[in-house]
Amino acid sequence: MTKLKVGIYGITGCAGCQLSVIFNEDELLDLIEVVDLKAFPFIKEVNPDEQYDLIFLEGLVADKGDLEAAKKLRKNAKILVALGACAVTGCVPAYRNFTLKQNYEHLLYRKIRELQDVQPTPVDMHVRVDYYLPGCPPDKRQILAFIKGAVKGAIPRPTDNPVCVECRQNGNACLLEIGKPCLGPITAGGCNAVCVNGGLECWGCRGPTKDMNLPLMISLLKRKGFDEKFIQDRMRTFAGLKLPMLKEVLHGKNHHA
Amino acid sequence: MARTITLDHITKIEGHAKLRLKVDRGKVKQCHLTATEGARYFEGIVKGRRYNEAHEITSRICGICSCAHVIAAIQAVEDALGHAPTKQTKQLRLLLTLGERIRSHATHLYFLSLPDYLGYESALAMAKNHRPELQRALNLMRCGNGIIATLGARDLHPVSATVGGWLRLPKEGDMQKLRLSLDSVKKDAIATCDLFNSLKYPEFESKGKYFSLIHPKDYPFLEGEFGFGKERVKKSDYRSFLTEYHEPDSTANFVVKSDKRYFVGALARINNNRKLLSVDAQKMLRQSGISLPSRNPYHNTIAQAVELVHCVDQALEICSTLKIKPEEVEKIAPRAGTGVGMIEVPRGTLWHEYTLDAQGIITRTNIITPTAQNLLNIQEDIRQFVPRVLKKPRAQIILDVEKLIRSYDPCFSCSAHFLEVDWK
Repeated sequence: MTKLKVGIYGITGCAGCQLSVIFNEDELLDLIEVVDLKAFPFIKEVNPDEQYDLIFLEGLVADKGDLEAAKKLRKNAKILVALGACAVTGCVPAYRNFTLKQNYEHLLYRKIRELQDVQPTPVDMHVRVDYYLPGCPPDKRQILAFIKGAVKGAIPRPTDNPVCVECRQNGNACLLEIGKPCLGPITAGGCNAVCVNGGLECWGCRGPTKDMNLPLMISLLKRKGFDEKFIQDRMRTFAGLKLPMLKEVLHGKNHHA
Repeated sequence: MARTITLDHITKIEGHAKLRLKVDRGKVKQCHLTATEGARYFEGIVKGRRYNEAHEITSRICGICSCAHVIAAIQAVEDALGHAPTKQTKQLRLLLTLGERIRSHATHLYFLSLPDYLGYESALAMAKNHRPELQRALNLMRCGNGIIATLGARDLHPVSATVGGWLRLPKEGDMQKLRLSLDSVKKDAIATCDLFNSLKYPEFESKGKYFSLIHPKDYPFLEGEFGFGKERVKKSDYRSFLTEYHEPDSTANFVVKSDKRYFVGALARINNNRKLLSVDAQKMLRQSGISLPSRNPYHNTIAQAVELVHCVDQALEICSTLKIKPEEVEKIAPRAGTGVGMIEVPRGTLWHEYTLDAQGIITRTNIITPTAQNLLNIQEDIRQFVPRVLKKPRAQIILDVEKLIRSYDPCFSCSAHFLEVDWK
């Protein structure tokens, strides 16, 4: 049987999702027996520019180089997977789309003649993405499960349950009830509610569920005493570009960060 | 005859960088190392956010040292708020830092560095002939990640450390499990030293000075003063110490001290603090045969291996002696002020600085990463190093230069964010 040919690449990001692949300490050595992990520039010198069955792409498009890489990898991939929050939602770096230009304008390089900067955006705003592995970072076991699934020809389906489902199963006390701004009710689960397990409210890094009730979530947070600017900033931190309706729900108001 | 070597995408480093090298009649005409990551503007992103959100956001600067950014941000914000953390909180932050140092060094040594020395294109390609070595790396990574996940709930971008304490504390049994895990990798850390002590390193002396935190009593992680030899810089004075400028094509920064280059990292730390290493770490350092202080950047890998032993020892001590008491996160009233966090992280000294208004909203931020400080030194080392290997074949020159770059364990993800240009 020919092995599945796999590439793991990164564009602008923190390398955390790629690390999550190799942090499967117990399975990594078996994994490379089962698939042909042919390209992985983070840890490999030789990374042929050719056709792959499966390409995982970490990071978001933040400059022209990223855009070219994303296009090339799309062409090289039978299946292209957006790996992690930057690739899926744009994550924290895409929050800049919602801040005042004056917040970062002074940080620009003055010596750069031609700024190679493009609007920070997730991969699917530029090329077609076949599958998404959300999360900042995704659970490392989920990446493994995805690859195993691809080998067997049965890629696992993502859950559309909100984070709350797993959170309740884990027996966590509801953080919303004690007044924390938890976005679990509108955020896609599959993370085992890991942040809430650790005591931190959900910030929404896996992006919104398809059937979220955004107005209800906002009114709930307001009842808990959070103002519109805070709610907006929090919701936009990890998934702002996937919540275009937020502005409408807040009646067209835009509370600049 | 003029020769140009361009490495458009240097592999086996964190993040993206390229090198342009032009040599004419034995002289280096151009040597330009640049980060090619897209800019992420973290300092702009946290502006306008609440004081207790900074660490969650800036953690995303870097995957491999996310704990470092979390702790530096928390330390800076607590400094601005005039808050002193409890002893237990400090011990747990230190343990988190030790866990990260173990997994980061193990990853760098075995996955990014070792293949160069054993003649493989990657650690994956070593799996057939060097499985025990890889298994050792994975054991150490599992141990480090286990510490981080136990304390921080996740091994990347940990969530439980916060301003004022810990959102969730480890349970008694957790510390016992970590102790067993650390006990089991001690031999792996020692074997890592044996392995890296046995490799051949090119002879080379960087002209850069070595700076790190220096502490009178403990090997420095989260406390101490920044220094070199007898020179000392208090953390509140760091701005006057450092000047920054932006390289034209790079989204990362070069940080220079009075136009004099310097380097930070494991080698700088052991140069400045070798007597504070654990007994076994000192023993492994002696066996390496390198004479300290060393300015040979290739020795940074040896220094990292020695630190692995030290970190396992120190983490073991904490896990054996710390009795976890129930402590709530301390409530801190916001107030206006500026604070600095200055800590040692896997790749060197990291600074975070935040200015808060009376409501605790962040109005100004500055973050200086180790790679931003090392970048100029790496580039100038290459310029200094290349003429002596020019007679070698092109592929060998490239390998030597890449080894030099990788020995610093640079993180271009970290360094590629915009810093403030104008300091007042």
